[in-house]
Amino acid sequence: MPEIKVTPLGAGQDVGRSCILVSIGGKNIMLDCGMHMGYNDDRRFPDFSYIVQNSRLTDFLDCVIISHFHLDHCGALPYMSEMVGYDGPIYMTHPTKAICPILLEDFRKITVDKKGETNFFTSQMIKDCMKKVIPLNLHQTVQVDDELEIKAYYAGHVLGAAMVHIKVGSESVVYTGDYNMTPDRHLGAAWIDKCRPDILISESTYATTIRDSKRCRERDFLKKVHESIERGGKVLIPVFALGRAQELCILLETFWERMNLKAPIYFSTGLTEKANHYYKLFITWTNQKIRKTFVQRNMFEFKHIKAFDRSYADNPGPMVVFATPGMLHAGQSLQIFKKWAGNEKNMVIMPGYCVQGTIGHKILNGQRKLEMEGRTTLDVKLQVEYMSFSAHADAKGIMQLIRMAEPRNMLLVHGEAVKMEFLKGKIEQEFSIDCYMPANGETTTITTNPSVPVDMSLSLLKREMALGGPLPDPKKPRTMHGTLIMKENSLKLVSSEQALKELGLNEYQLRFTCRVQLQDPHSDVDTLHRIYTHLKNVLKGYTIQHLPDSTVMVESIVIKVTSSAEDSSTKVLLLSWSYQDEDLGSYLSSLLKKGLPSGLC
Amino acid sequence: MAGEMLEEEFDDILDDWFIESLKTYKDLHVFQLEHPTRVIEWTSGKTVCVAGYSSSKNDILELRLPLKVFADENKGLCAERDFKVVHGGFTGSPVRCLRHVPGTRCVVTSDGQNADLQVWELGGDDSDVIRRTGSVKGRNASESGCRIAARVSTPPQVLHGAGISDVQLTQLISGETLYKLDVDSDEPLSSLQFVSDSVFLAGCFNGSVCIADTRTSAAPQLHPPPSSSGEPALWWTDASSAPQQSDCKVVRLSSSGRAVVSDWRNLGGIACQAQLDVQTRPDKLKEASVSWAPALAGYISVSGFSGAVQIYNTCVWKTELQDVQPLFQHRGHAVSSEQTDGSAPAFVTSHVWHPERPRTLLSAASDGSLHVWDWVEPETK
Repeated sequence: MPEIKVTPLGAGQDVGRSCILVSIGGKNIMLDCGMHMGYNDDRRFPDFSYIVQNSRLTDFLDCVIISHFHLDHCGALPYMSEMVGYDGPIYMTHPTKAICPILLEDFRKITVDKKGETNFFTSQMIKDCMKKVIPLNLHQTVQVDDELEIKAYYAGHVLGAAMVHIKVGSESVVYTGDYNMTPDRHLGAAWIDKCRPDILISESTYATTIRDSKRCRERDFLKKVHESIERGGKVLIPVFALGRAQELCILLETFWERMNLKAPIYFSTGLTEKANHYYKLFITWTNQKIRKTFVQRNMFEFKHIKAFDRSYADNPGPMVVFATPGMLHAGQSLQIFKKWAGNEKNMVIMPGYCVQGTIGHKILNGQRKLEMEGRTTLDVKLQVEYMSFSAHADAKGIMQLIRMAEPRNMLLVHGEAVKMEFLKGKIEQEFSIDCYMPANGETTTITTNPSVPVDMSLSLLKREMALGGPLPDPKKPRTMHGTLIMKENSLKLVSSEQALKELGLNEYQLRFTCRVQLQDPHSDVDTLHRIYTHLKNVLKGYTIQHLPDSTVMVESIVIKVTSSAEDSSTKVLLLSWSYQDEDLGSYLSSLLKKGLPSGLC
Repeated sequence: MAGEMLEEEFDDILDDWFIESLKTYKDLHVFQLEHPTRVIEWTSGKTVCVAGYSSSKNDILELRLPLKVFADENKGLCAERDFKVVHGGFTGSPVRCLRHVPGTRCVVTSDGQNADLQVWELGGDDSDVIRRTGSVKGRNASESGCRIAARVSTPPQVLHGAGISDVQLTQLISGETLYKLDVDSDEPLSSLQFVSDSVFLAGCFNGSVCIADTRTSAAPQLHPPPSSSGEPALWWTDASSAPQQSDCKVVRLSSSGRAVVSDWRNLGGIACQAQLDVQTRPDKLKEASVSWAPALAGYISVSGFSGAVQIYNTCVWKTELQDVQPLFQHRGHAVSSEQTDGSAPAFVTSHVWHPERPRTLLSAASDGSLHVWDWVEPETK
């Protein structure tokens, strides 16, 4: 039976890195290649020895697909392609291709320069890796080879995030990556058509949560900013150019306008240019509203938000500054942080995850004394706020997605099976599909029932229709007879006669005859009648006919009675049947050899 | 901007209320359940149970509140704002009442169709499935669900009834009836609660109440409803918790918005009362809720009349009936449900106070929304 195998790489229960292997129709595909951000050693990379030991991966993988630019989905890509070795195609969307290398380089800098690690990929490796990337457009089918095709769907979540549909023959799999089902200020919601994949693969990380509304997260953000401004404090918001910066700017602008606030808001120029550049490039990836706004005016042209100059950091009074980089690990945001950290009226708002080793990570873990260069210590007196704006689907979102795609099976990775029994039950109950939850390192094999398309000859179809019988019912398949011809790449169903003709063979009919002797004093006609009655009693459910030409027919088996020349009470029964009725024919002959029961009328 | 879409307008409505909320709430969390719930029941200091009430398939969920709600000292460093579904189960009938049996991992529900109650085991760390483990036999059914009350006891027991004449105390595991309330009245119950290990308050829809003790078989006194000249109304009751049982107060709320507070030792009298400013629903009110704040003396909360939860301070009420204004209104459910096209606006189905945090409440509405909010005491002028 055809099967699809899915293995999430990783060990035990750990969550935090995505790398899933799928074997479908003889093809091997790697979905995402994430780095585990919690480990400092080799455990942060997926264990590729599962695929092959001590060898390059090129021969074993048909392609690699990356869903979006978050490091837990692409962080190990340069390690995999350049240090373990893979030269095949790597697919990702255009925005992901543009943004990935920036994040990877940032990450590399922090890990190598700041933490002094050695077994890590280099800048050149990142460049070499990206040369292997083939960009994808939304909803465009891409032929990886003759048999494997992939298509990207919009996932929301972050700029360029995609869900991917993989098809080999009539088997298919959809991998969601990270997605969300509610639109936000600059991205739309995930969408997929009723593609009915054999398996829908998704993360279970948020499957058992109910997400707080985006508006409440925004409310918290505005409340914190407002409170700081009101007490004369300064607010630093370190951002990554393509993360939430744009969204938070729109939010503050609306708020400042509504509340008639006067405190200045700045964003660093590097931020504007980069963001503008990327948003222009990938305008189709943002939502309706942003597109409309962008058409009307430059996206970063705000009434209340101005370009930052480094000298402004020393200005007295309240202000809000958006600055890069996002994890406070270098550059302008770190410079400003050092200036403002000592004042408890000030605040730093971290809008996302920070990699280990960065200042951002340290302060989010509650560190209030930081060791800086030159062995100086920085006292962190300002207020530290950690806010998560990332858009993820929750329990409700998963159900919505399943409703949209209508998969035949569901597979959730990165969850503990005992903690997911309820969700599994819910999915199974509501959609009548199986829900699998492999542990990391465990392979799930799912048998598929692919439909094999076969052409049917018109004459055969007409003949079947002419036979009458019950009306066609999609729920009740009707048996029909024909011959399957496999020629070149096509499958054809034709009538036997046509098949024989095509093959240049003659049709033969095989008939069996047998004579059974029976003692019966009645006349030939009466004996025949008695046989008819006897068979009707024994063979219920069969078509038994007593024909006017003095034969009895059981299905297609013919029975005739003649008397022996010597003795009129010795009857000779002639049974004749065709090869197809061999079983019934031989049964009848044994039956009749036993003679007719008395008491038949 | 010219040509604003309708969506933009609703964004504005939300914006106004939301911006106001920056000052009026310390904390605010807004969630959307897949299906609306009529019940919110604490199963621990950090977890609640909710359940659906549609006529067929429903989920029962045990949810853990967002960690941020409890992170007092390091609130800024906690980004966790989501509910976690820690346990879940399925039921084939609506859940009209749900009660946690304290000291156990059991909840008891009433579906409004059967006289018997359903018993469920919430499950521990080894499984996330809520399983049906048995029933409690009842004598009569109630369309709005049998009332259920429980307090810590060994072995676990549950007090339940559809009407004041069939209230009984049943031992959960053995099913043995330990006590039956002997009252000569036919009235259906609208509330039932323990105020101590053995003393409980039963309130009827017609407004009559009685205090009984499960240790005695003597028939308790049934106090009539507060006298009124208007149309017959439905009444709901709540008793406050107090260190001394005799200091308890009982509030009765009518479907016409009248609230009457009586002292424990004088249920026939009126300690104070008020005509609340409830905006009544166009369709007939069948279920409302009144609750004393566990940690704010004299404060009550009221819901069911509209999409708002109202908080009143009874300390300033007089003995004569007067119109009063709520001290605080949570209008979150009403405001966010205006977006749905054409359908009736949402009304609040249930609300509870946090047992310890003075101003934290949870409220749920008919549109499936579930809010957790911590309100700011308005400055008295």
